[in-house]
Amino acid sequence: MDSLPLGEEVIQKACSIAMEAHNYPEAPWRVENSPSSSDVFFTFPGSWSVADWFTRLPFGEIKVDPSKLLSPKGKDKVATSLRSIGRDELATVNEGFLKRLEMILANPSLQSEVEKAIADKKQIVFTGHSSAGAVAILATVWFLENYIKPEITRMSPLCVTFGSPLVADFIFNHALRRENWSHCFIHFVMRYDIVPRILLAPLSSMERELEQILYLLNPKPLFPRQGSTRVASQFYQTVMRNASALTSHAACQLMGNANPILETVASFIELSPYRPCGTFVFCTGNGKLVVVRNADAVLQLLFYSTQLCSENELEEVAERSLNSHFDYQSELRDRLKMQNAVHLDHLDGLPLSSNGAAAENIATSMALNELGLSTRARLCLRAAGEQEKQKLSNQQRMDRKKADIEAGLAMLEDYKSKCAVCQVGYYDAFRSSKDEDDFKANVKRLELTGIWDEIVEMLNRYELPEGFESRKEWVELSTRYRRIVEPLDVANYYRHAKNEDTGPYMDKGRPRRYKYTQRWREHALRMPVGSSAESSFWAEVEELQLHRRTRPGAFEEIRETILNLERKLKEWIDGEHISRDVFLEGSSFTKLWKSLPQQHKSVSCLQGQINS
Amino acid sequence: MSEMLATFLASTPLLEEAWRLCSIADTTFPGAYLVQQIGSVAYVAFSGRQADPGSDQSRENPARLDAEDGGLFAPLYREAEKPIRVHSGMLRLFLSMYQSLQIQFASLIGKVKSVVITGHSIGGTTASLSALWLLCYLQSMSSPITSVLCITFGSPLLGNEALHRSILRERWGGNFCHVVSKHDIMPRLLFADVVPNHISKIHALISFSHHCMAAPHLVVASLSSQLVDDVEDIFHCVLKDLELLAQAEEPSENVFWPFGSYVFCCQEGAICLDYAASVMKMMYLMLATGSPSCSIEDHLKYGDYVGKVSKHFLRARNFQEEDLPDSSYEAGVALALQSTELVIKEPVEDLCLSVQNSNLTKEVAIRAKDCLQMARDGNKPTLIAANLATKLSKIVPFRIEIEWYKFYCDEADDQMGYYDSFKLKARWKRESRINMNRYKLAVFWNSVIDMLENKKLPHDFHRRGKWVNASQFYKLLVEPLDIADYYRAGKHRERGHYITHGRERRYEFFDKWWRDRGIPEEENKRSKFANFTQDSCFWAKVEEAREWLDNVRSESDVKKRDLLWRKIDLFEQYARKLIENKEISEDVLAKNSSFSRWMEDWKELKS
Repeated sequence: MDSLPLGEEVIQKACSIAMEAHNYPEAPWRVENSPSSSDVFFTFPGSWSVADWFTRLPFGEIKVDPSKLLSPKGKDKVATSLRSIGRDELATVNEGFLKRLEMILANPSLQSEVEKAIADKKQIVFTGHSSAGAVAILATVWFLENYIKPEITRMSPLCVTFGSPLVADFIFNHALRRENWSHCFIHFVMRYDIVPRILLAPLSSMERELEQILYLLNPKPLFPRQGSTRVASQFYQTVMRNASALTSHAACQLMGNANPILETVASFIELSPYRPCGTFVFCTGNGKLVVVRNADAVLQLLFYSTQLCSENELEEVAERSLNSHFDYQSELRDRLKMQNAVHLDHLDGLPLSSNGAAAENIATSMALNELGLSTRARLCLRAAGEQEKQKLSNQQRMDRKKADIEAGLAMLEDYKSKCAVCQVGYYDAFRSSKDEDDFKANVKRLELTGIWDEIVEMLNRYELPEGFESRKEWVELSTRYRRIVEPLDVANYYRHAKNEDTGPYMDKGRPRRYKYTQRWREHALRMPVGSSAESSFWAEVEELQLHRRTRPGAFEEIRETILNLERKLKEWIDGEHISRDVFLEGSSFTKLWKSLPQQHKSVSCLQGQINS
Repeated sequence: MSEMLATFLASTPLLEEAWRLCSIADTTFPGAYLVQQIGSVAYVAFSGRQADPGSDQSRENPARLDAEDGGLFAPLYREAEKPIRVHSGMLRLFLSMYQSLQIQFASLIGKVKSVVITGHSIGGTTASLSALWLLCYLQSMSSPITSVLCITFGSPLLGNEALHRSILRERWGGNFCHVVSKHDIMPRLLFADVVPNHISKIHALISFSHHCMAAPHLVVASLSSQLVDDVEDIFHCVLKDLELLAQAEEPSENVFWPFGSYVFCCQEGAICLDYAASVMKMMYLMLATGSPSCSIEDHLKYGDYVGKVSKHFLRARNFQEEDLPDSSYEAGVALALQSTELVIKEPVEDLCLSVQNSNLTKEVAIRAKDCLQMARDGNKPTLIAANLATKLSKIVPFRIEIEWYKFYCDEADDQMGYYDSFKLKARWKRESRINMNRYKLAVFWNSVIDMLENKKLPHDFHRRGKWVNASQFYKLLVEPLDIADYYRAGKHRERGHYITHGRERRYEFFDKWWRDRGIPEEENKRSKFANFTQDSCFWAKVEEAREWLDNVRSESDVKKRDLLWRKIDLFEQYARKLIENKEISEDVLAKNSSFSRWMEDWKELKS
């Protein structure tokens, strides 16, 4: 299949293995590893009990526990990738499906099989149908977080699901895209299959029906099915109503509707946190495939492709919404059709009506018609495309400001070295601000503040492309910025005694532009949380000085902090993250250090540095 | 866009739930209301059958809210520039229920997280007033009730444009959702300039609709012939006045005005608008395509409409015309237009009639399109505010340079402080630069005030922390220089003293913003002198005190002398208090500052 990272054979194989797994509900996982094949398939059986889908109200969702399964093992205190970095918001996943994976991994057998496949340099494929697809998604993330490392393997796994329910929120998708993991996930969804839509509705709205529906969907029911039509159409309407509320809310946001009633009303109802992630392949029902990568567009499609064309279709569509959950194998049988899949890449230029399409758009137009998309639906897809474009153009705009930032930093670095020539650290020079140079440095500081605050604002509103926070050139530029400019912010803070009104800089006064960019570096280098705090070194010095002034006898209270700071400072000096001007005679740090008790100084790790 | 929002509202269970309770309240709780808790949401539904509130000629003279509410709505009019007026009958109706409501809401607090207040017809205005009161009330306490939503069905208008503005200023516009069916006369009634002989007709109309609400199963066709004529009169009267209003620019104080969001429901769809001018235009256009009889029927058919729009989500609805515009924006407007059912439906059989008709409908369609586009652009203030923020960051360096000048003067050998340095050395190089910066900052802030007065900025602009703080810092730092400039140029001799005759208007705005920011003045003990003197007019007061001191020496009249002496004494007390609280900045106490020199002279005189 064009531009999908896997061939038709793999898809067909994965599908048959995934379906077969339902026949062995007692096996928590299965592996297909034939010596003649370069692929290894891992799969799981589905679950048909409400308790496995919804562990809690309203949507069975839970924040990722940063210390657990989906975090990197080994190195201490390295944060999980499943979050937004600057804002530091953790992803939310379905607790029931996560618990299933935890249960499977409690036994080391899957891990050893996975490691064997790595050793054999085979392509690993996690696959699953229905709720097993959700488990496969989480297993893939577990693999990515723990095994994709230079010292283990560089070979990306694949995750292929069929009719899988959604499993996580938009931060999960955000993180996957940022880490460049998104392309590993391929989800097949039949136009009318209700299962991928179920988690768009809160449990409270369908508690009674869900049990019956899951029973009807179980490929190995204990009792014969009957009377499904009424339940099915009730269930279909419930899910669609909730999906409509969710997607129209999302569409209003995409279209920039600023009417405040949108959020007031949203606070009265339960909107699902779940969002699509990875690549979706919609199957129209007669063999045609439509490939979509934009998660906002996929969400809209999940709703609009299942709408009725006329009201009297209700019962028929409702039945299909259950039956087509088992149509994947037959739908994916025809290779030729798979090769002619339509890619919806240029969403902002989609044809709006079902008849008037330009010649080069014929295939797209037909695909949209076969998914039954109304003009409204197409407008929503366009809005999703326009937002993606807007994010890119925001990034380009910030990229153009890099030159301004570089020039500003060069000017401040110059200021710093000028100060050093006069045997004053630039921190202390700026703190007393006596000369015109200090004033000019302050203007520059504020100009740079403007640019970085704009970036922070856009990150807060998720208006930049997902990968922005892990782009190498920006991580490096921000580190340079933080190291040279944050000391000026600290100096300014204590010079104006803002700590008396607001509290210590680190607790209350530290701007987000520094917190965010520190996290960027820590994430990029997989450093422990909080270990790249060199730029806020002076804030610690100020607080310790204050302590020495107000409680000069109480050295014991700060001994640990001092020892810690000395140790870190030594590392930062050695790594050239902080320059040696901190040791100049008359620098605030030198003064602090000299005020410490003799018996501490004589054994301090900095002893040689300052006396010389 | 307006249409997508309506789709969202209709997909939630809120509209159906609210209507269900309204219809129960209409049939079984006349003159009262009904409370029901569903999950963590409390619903309060007011019956549309209430004691007739229109019995006086109150349309001519709506009541001033602050005169008649006993302070219940104080947060609304505290900052209003023009008096808020509401329909006095409706206010009385609310006040008559207020005591029981207060007890009712008190018992809900703690039990529920959010409240939906709803009502049909006149019950809708009572619901709006109750919601407004609840919002005012909750503002003064930290309450576990986090959201309040008012949903009305076919509610008459409540108050004037000042009410609308106050609601926007308090950011409560998003708490009101008025559902209006296509031709319903009731929500449009108070747009009409009703002459006294209409009043009895309106009474007849209201009692007829009460009659129908009490027995919703009866057929509406039983209109008496007298009533038919009455309705026809009212219909044309409303239509005429609404057309005038929809084109008017400046509303007068006594005119009723919409507030919050309006959901217009038709058979084929719904749209949601919150831009007042668009709401009124849409009210007019939809009524213009209706007839007197359907304008009554539609007031009683909310059950139908709500049921229909709540089911719209199931079916994919396509655009019915051939020539759909290709731009997303235009296509969005075209779709919304289709939902309003104001587009041309051809063909009409009777040729002669159809020419006339299609001209009319074309006209309506074009105006409806304008109206929808206007609603879209109505959000421009937000954009302007965002651009202004960028401009603000661009002028920061000018302010910083002045700030630095101040500290430079504090350290300088002449020990004059920045006020006196600036006043004395106006033509020196450095001071000219500072003067230029002062000028640029003034231009920027004047443009902000200008935009605000021309209503180009969001209504809550002056509540936004960013702007309140930025203007305050600007004022504290720069106003002393304005004062210095004023007295250096001797303008006080031509025009009088700065505070009463020379102060720029912008500073008075900033004073008000700062005062109204709603943060109680803390008794914060400063450990050192403030960075900026907290009274930005301090130096102007010093200048006046200087004049008194000079005059007191030469004054021969004992009485006048005594008066001056007392004034000087008061100023000294005021200055000492500022110093004691460390609310002045160090430059005031510099050895050679005007203030220090004044103090010396004063001491000398006293001794």
